[in-house]
Amino acid sequence: MADLNEGRFDLPRSPARLIAFAVTAALLFAMLGGRLFQMQVVSGTLYADRAVAARTIEMPIKAPRGLIFDRTGRPVAINVPSWTVEAIPADLPADASQRDAVLARVASSTGAQAAGLQQRLSAYHGSPYDQVPLVRGITRDQALLLSERAGDVPGIVVQVDPVRQYLDEAGKVDGSLLAHVLGYTGPVSQEQLAALAEQGYLPDDWIGKDGVEGSYESILRGTYGSQQVERDASGRPIKVISTTTQAVPGRNLMLTIDARLQRMATDALTWGMRAAGVKQGVTIVMNPQTGEILAMVSLPSYDDNAFATGISTATFNTYLQNPNQPLRNHAIADIYPPGSTFKLVTGTAALQEGVTTPTQLWPTYGCFHIPGAPAGQCLFDWNHAGFGPLNIEQAFFRSSDTFFYQMAIHLGIDRLAKWAYDYGFAKPTGINLPGEASGIIASTEWAQSQGRPNVFTGELAQAGIGQNVIAVTPLQLANAYAALANGGRLMRPMIVKGETDRSGKLIKAYPPTLIRKISASASTMQLLRFGAREVVTSGHAFNIRDVPLPGALSGKTGTAEFGAKEQDGSLPFHSWFVGYLPSSPGATDATLEVLTFSYSATVPGNVSTEVVKYFFQKYFNVQRDYRLDPRTLSLLGGN
Amino acid sequence: MGATTSTFVDSVRDRAWRAFDWQLLLFVALIVGFGVVMGYSASFNEASQPAGGISQTVKTLLWVAIGFTIFFVAASIDYHWLTTFTAPIYIGVLLLLVLNLVIGKSLNGATLSISVAGLDFQVSEVSKVLMIVVLASWLSGRREKIGRLSTIVGAGILMGIPTFLVFRQPDLGTALVFVAILVTMLFMSGASIGWMALLAGVVVAVSPIAVNALAAYQRARLFCFLNPYADPQGACYQLVQALNAVGSGGVFGQGLTAGRQNQLGYLPVQTTDFIFTVVAEELGFVGGLLMLGLFALLVWRILVIGWGARDALGSMVAWGLASMLLFQLLVSVGMVIGIMPVTGIPLPFITYGGSSMISLLFGMGILESVRVHARKQTF
Repeated sequence: MADLNEGRFDLPRSPARLIAFAVTAALLFAMLGGRLFQMQVVSGTLYADRAVAARTIEMPIKAPRGLIFDRTGRPVAINVPSWTVEAIPADLPADASQRDAVLARVASSTGAQAAGLQQRLSAYHGSPYDQVPLVRGITRDQALLLSERAGDVPGIVVQVDPVRQYLDEAGKVDGSLLAHVLGYTGPVSQEQLAALAEQGYLPDDWIGKDGVEGSYESILRGTYGSQQVERDASGRPIKVISTTTQAVPGRNLMLTIDARLQRMATDALTWGMRAAGVKQGVTIVMNPQTGEILAMVSLPSYDDNAFATGISTATFNTYLQNPNQPLRNHAIADIYPPGSTFKLVTGTAALQEGVTTPTQLWPTYGCFHIPGAPAGQCLFDWNHAGFGPLNIEQAFFRSSDTFFYQMAIHLGIDRLAKWAYDYGFAKPTGINLPGEASGIIASTEWAQSQGRPNVFTGELAQAGIGQNVIAVTPLQLANAYAALANGGRLMRPMIVKGETDRSGKLIKAYPPTLIRKISASASTMQLLRFGAREVVTSGHAFNIRDVPLPGALSGKTGTAEFGAKEQDGSLPFHSWFVGYLPSSPGATDATLEVLTFSYSATVPGNVSTEVVKYFFQKYFNVQRDYRLDPRTLSLLGGN
Repeated sequence: MGATTSTFVDSVRDRAWRAFDWQLLLFVALIVGFGVVMGYSASFNEASQPAGGISQTVKTLLWVAIGFTIFFVAASIDYHWLTTFTAPIYIGVLLLLVLNLVIGKSLNGATLSISVAGLDFQVSEVSKVLMIVVLASWLSGRREKIGRLSTIVGAGILMGIPTFLVFRQPDLGTALVFVAILVTMLFMSGASIGWMALLAGVVVAVSPIAVNALAAYQRARLFCFLNPYADPQGACYQLVQALNAVGSGGVFGQGLTAGRQNQLGYLPVQTTDFIFTVVAEELGFVGGLLMLGLFALLVWRILVIGWGARDALGSMVAWGLASMLLFQLLVSVGMVIGIMPVTGIPLPFITYGGSSMISLLFGMGILESVRVHARKQTF
């Protein structure tokens, strides 16, 4: 036994120390277990809440944008999925040549330029976990192909987002038919974001720009919701935990526009512009009773679908550099001298202010000498011959300039201006579209703002025929004639008829708004309506009278030569025609009015009248073609 | 063939194997099994796993297989055989630690491993078990001189050199493990409590200087330990994420591979130093308690083996290993439940790593040898 135990108790064995060790160990386990109990069982919820709060963020739920329909329920602005190729820089291969290979594969399957993708990627300086858009608007097939080849293109994802698509009257994708009415959506700019962030706009958000998309942004956008989203440690969203507030879809709108009429008006204007070498043209079709705009064409137009998918710089620059400014809605944003169409205002003023009675005859002249001007200086009548003595109705339909010079001079500028204001000039009409111009109506105040005591008498005379110191938007003019046509009610032009359901059925109609009753007497307006009828039957618009129309077409022409001289030294020709269609001469029941303005034609004569004529032929399905070739003034359709 | 060189097969036939401690093997195997499962869950969502490469779990299983082979080899060899090699082992440990400092592979600023044939060899992990053997051997030879101050000074110098080398890596955690082993083994060997208390007093007195000697990141960890929510987005981010994860585990946990903090990558080094966070988050209080219970059983078993050892060498090895396990458990679990400062110390058997696994199973094998050879004649 001694052998066995040799060395066994070579050190003292202390039970006390072993117990101390064991007790220490037991305490240690108890401490760990106790603390675990405290953290997990007692305060578990507290830590869990902290953990959830630290890894979740509030993220917006985008609301689908409201659709837009025309007045017959045809969809003209819809949302379609758009596929965008995006790169997550952090997930791309680190090796430069492998990265290039990935981008080359993306380029080959989307038809994009590899160098362009490189550029877009290197221009990005945000978080490497963000998605950087490389190619927008790829086709569905390309998107599917890329998704299938995901293994070959690490770090590349295909994102699907709703984008706007604009359609024509036939339901085909066409961004030019209603571009100026609808406008487009585009990425919110940095400056806009500063002001809009409070309303829930996001840095990568889209916003309605121009047209109805712009002016009805708050209705179309809806209200974004928000949700709690869990992120991983690198910040990537992983899953939705809860929805804090639901998104409210944007409301759908119905335009007052009839896309079919818009097409007819566009085709008619396009023909006229080509035939007469016109550079800019406007056609407005409206219902004079309500102020509803049935068609509003401004040419040249642009493709708003190009904007909806993110317009290329090259295309955008082409638009910007075009001297005829396709991006501007000439119908509301630009001002032009109304010419003889303004005689409506001068005539109303002269009758109302007692400058003339309806039957009083005034001499007319080949060239009218302005009182106080040096001898030999005179202003011509348009025919350089005069018409002999005329009363005001005759002067209106013959469009005698020298008659209205005299009216203007007797009125004085401020009484003329007063009636121009009454017809809605010098002020935006209030149509709910962005970018409407005010126009210019000369007055003493206006002259003084130019630094002179008053307008010159020559200017005053020219103001009487809508020249020199008078400038209006085509819409203002159309609206003034609408007031004439409906018996003196100046309506606010409407572009949106109301709100619809998702299928385009009207559920809430916006009521027409009366701006004011024109303060002219009924007899004054009746006289001018008869004059307007005679413009068609025996005045300047006589060549439209043969077109069989279901009513007594009445209207007024206006022509002018002004602007920059052409190379041969001649001035470009501009022409207006505004016509409305009452049931009988002088009646106030017209529901159709058409205005056309052609800016800068290369041939004399009123191409606008031909455009309106062509529109009526289309609208009323007139079989025979009554158009005249603006160059030769011979019948296009033959006899 | 002598007993000291008897093979495992010979030994199995030997009657002495009746003394084989199945409980030790069982507890170790259960903890290792638990560790493999947790390691799998911790690396479940790891994006850095190379596709088609060997997964971490497969690697762990390989280490476990090697480890248990070594366990049985060590168990079959009389542990006294080790005393013959005390001096070479000690010199070898010092050389490896110096080598590690010179050519070691850098990880997060610290040189922790030597790469041999593509495998990372963590010298400090292996040196812990080897230093227990060296210290046990030296202390058991002190006999009647054990109560003297020279025991404490000698053991201090013996342990101090490798501790300093490890500290220089810098691997503060392992250095602290060395200190814990030294103190426990001295205490259990019968060293003078008076002298130990006096020296401990000196250490406490100079500790403010030690805090100054700490690197900036170590001081920040100390600061976060004291008040983690003072800087939850900055210096204390990792600790706060870990604390949140542990608390979120609740009673039953979020389920294996379903811990959100773990799977979404919020936990730092979740397969190694922060592995217990995964345990707590995914298996909850029940799982944490299960793990602590297994460790408690293992430590209890080691103490039983130590007390029943034939001689002081066997006992001292047991005390050393028990103190190592306890201290590593205390720090590794304690830091993610906010009762210890954050220090990089592996959770024994559970933290991923071949060096740690193999050296621990080697240590357990020695313990088994202590058991097997407790009543056996050496001649």
